[in-house]
Amino acid sequence: MSAVLKFLSRTQGKNGPALVDWISYIYLLLGFLIIFLPVLWLLLNSIKSQFLLQKLDTNILPLDYDRVVRATVFGPEGKEIFIMKDMPEWVIYWNELRDEDKKNENNPNEFISNYEGKEYYALRTHLGLVSDHAKKLIKQKNLPEWLIKYPSMFPDAKKEYDPQEFLTNLNEEEIRLMSEFLGIKPYKPNGFTSQILISAINPETNKLEEYSVSRLNNNKDTVNARLISNPQGGIVKLQTQDIIVNKKLRPSWINYSDPLTNNVRGMSFDAVKCLSNSLFVTIVATIITVLINSMAAFALSKYKFNGQIIFFIIILATLMVPASVLIVGIFKMVSMTGLNGSLWGVIIPGAATPTGVFMLRQYMLTIPDELLEAARMDAASEWSIYWKIVFPLALPAIAVLGILSIIWRWNDLILPMIAVSTTKTAYTIQLCLLDFQGEYVAQEHYRLAMTVVSLIPTTLVFVFLQRYITTGIANTGIK
Amino acid sequence: MATLEIKKVRKNYGTLEVIHGIDLFINNGEFCVLVGPSGCGKSTLLRMIAGLEQITKGDILIDNQVVNNISAARRGLAMVFQSYALYPHMSVRQNLAFGLENLKMKIEEIDRRILEAARLLRMEEYLQRKPGQLSGGQKQRVAIGRAIVREPSIYLFDEPLSNLDAELRVATRVELKALHARLGNTMIYVTHDQVEAMTMADKIVVMNDGIIEQVGAPLELYNKPSNKFVAGFIGSPKMNFIQFDYLPNSLKEKAPPNSISLGIRPEHLSIKDENSLLLNVETVEQLGSDSFLYGTTSGEQKISIKLNYQTDIQANQSIKVGFKLDDAHWFDKDGIALTS
Repeated sequence: MSAVLKFLSRTQGKNGPALVDWISYIYLLLGFLIIFLPVLWLLLNSIKSQFLLQKLDTNILPLDYDRVVRATVFGPEGKEIFIMKDMPEWVIYWNELRDEDKKNENNPNEFISNYEGKEYYALRTHLGLVSDHAKKLIKQKNLPEWLIKYPSMFPDAKKEYDPQEFLTNLNEEEIRLMSEFLGIKPYKPNGFTSQILISAINPETNKLEEYSVSRLNNNKDTVNARLISNPQGGIVKLQTQDIIVNKKLRPSWINYSDPLTNNVRGMSFDAVKCLSNSLFVTIVATIITVLINSMAAFALSKYKFNGQIIFFIIILATLMVPASVLIVGIFKMVSMTGLNGSLWGVIIPGAATPTGVFMLRQYMLTIPDELLEAARMDAASEWSIYWKIVFPLALPAIAVLGILSIIWRWNDLILPMIAVSTTKTAYTIQLCLLDFQGEYVAQEHYRLAMTVVSLIPTTLVFVFLQRYITTGIANTGIK
Repeated sequence: MATLEIKKVRKNYGTLEVIHGIDLFINNGEFCVLVGPSGCGKSTLLRMIAGLEQITKGDILIDNQVVNNISAARRGLAMVFQSYALYPHMSVRQNLAFGLENLKMKIEEIDRRILEAARLLRMEEYLQRKPGQLSGGQKQRVAIGRAIVREPSIYLFDEPLSNLDAELRVATRVELKALHARLGNTMIYVTHDQVEAMTMADKIVVMNDGIIEQVGAPLELYNKPSNKFVAGFIGSPKMNFIQFDYLPNSLKEKAPPNSISLGIRPEHLSIKDENSLLLNVETVEQLGSDSFLYGTTSGEQKISIKLNYQTDIQANQSIKVGFKLDDAHWFDKDGIALTS
């Protein structure tokens, strides 16, 4: 430990740090931050709740605000907006909870029995109790069965029925329930949105009062806020610098636990399948890539044959063809060979890389020919010269290619899209991540969390293999 | 145990011919040294014997079997390389075992041979080390050990001592000679160092520019060089050559007909009047046991003299140096030695 400290506190200046030391440390720190900050940002964002991400929250930490509920209730008198405070968390986050948690831990019916009037209506909609209550009422009053299906009918079908005649015998509360259920004007589904609670001086009264806002953006000078004591009074603009915001740390671990346990609402996300597909592609493709490339490099660097230079130039020339040009060609090849929908369609087209051949060839040129001649004198076959002499001696270069190949393959999106985009069971992790953003759903919180998960293997690989890059074991044997 | 015969062997690189038809016979158990200046083709010849280079024309026969088209691996030879060419990623033991494993030899036999070679070359204590952890001399032993375990019919050495320091080189030279005496195998040894050639060889092959100049025992080459090249190459310091025209008349009379130049070794010159030349001394080197004098005679012909005693002769002095007529070598206009 003291040795480490001594090493770290070493300076170029004899009495304390000199200018060079300061510059070096500032440079190192800057470089570290440039590399590390985006990663840190990703990590911290991956534990922000869906609410915060949708509000484009710019805080570094997953700080959640004190929340209030802005409810909108429709009635015969029109729309009424009001604020509800002190809601328990499970009510506010109701839509973000898993189905089991909703059923097991909470009792919405018991909860809303404490409320009445407009607050009751708002909660009834928010907690999804309207249809339950309506169905009970239909049974209780022996109303016709088709009323239950009415809300989900097509407009044409709805014309054949007239629900109004059945509402006449009901009391006011029952009419309201049925109208909300059936969507009969002037009743509409009630709104229930979670908002941020802030405090600020009311310019009219000069008193500290509470406001609710839907979004906080520190880059703007003003905030659109609604006074809680007078929600119907409309929106007022407050100076951003004058408001007081209460925050508390609330990491949203369900971002991780939901997708990993295949509990994503509205879609099936099989993390194990995605990751194991990616793992298979990465491992098998890397082994094949390393083998094929090192064999080609061995031939190009250690044998003399006609057309050697031409082959080498052709291989290098393929570096100049942009990958996007090849997409159609690769797609045709993959589908004509029947590999589409199979992971082999991802693995094989990318197995031979000009970069790898070039890199390994240049490295193998530095292996002395005398070693190969010695092996030939030692009765080694050409295969065992490659496998037992050249391959182990080229390990530093092969490790570099291996690491690159692992990272390429793990992060690759194009080849899996070409080869397996129609076969859900063969999705690699990158395709799976893409699935979180569909036409109608954007589950960025899951995507960020799963992106972090997908980064773990490449990070581990780099940590464990990077020492091979730095060890040059080839230069030690020949004097 | 094998004989080697080379018949009219030629080697071309493209249109450039580097070996111009070589004939050579090496007896069973002989220590044959190929010597010559760099670029003379001696290493190429050795590599052709080994099977690492194709032969353009001619035949190579091992034990009267033509091996032109037999691969290096199947010729049953072993080679020690100038750079040792040890496999850097294998331990010493694995280096020794590699060739035997390729021959699918039994493990017990491999172990036995490695132990034997290790004992012979005194390298038991570093069998587990990698070549990177060995000194130059130790690497040299491993390289020789790798040849020994193969129990080859012929050993090939490609300048194996040139990477060692002077002291170690002398010691290894002696050891190699002793090893040859113990094993009794045919050995072919390439070097550019005539001291190595003189001390180790049973038979020296002097090569120059892709041809063999002379083949013979070390002293035979020293005493009876067949041409001016061999005369100048063997012996240190170099033999003095004096053009016939600048010789005093007394000497011209004693020369065989058609002589163009006289060759006389520095150690055969002494300060006396018989058969003498007049020498202007320019430099004197005193080594204690020996003294070297460098100077010029008439016609600016350079002369060096080796005296086996300490001398008081100074630079810029004129002296008379003479020699026994028996020690003189005479050469004709093609550089061929004439017998007087």
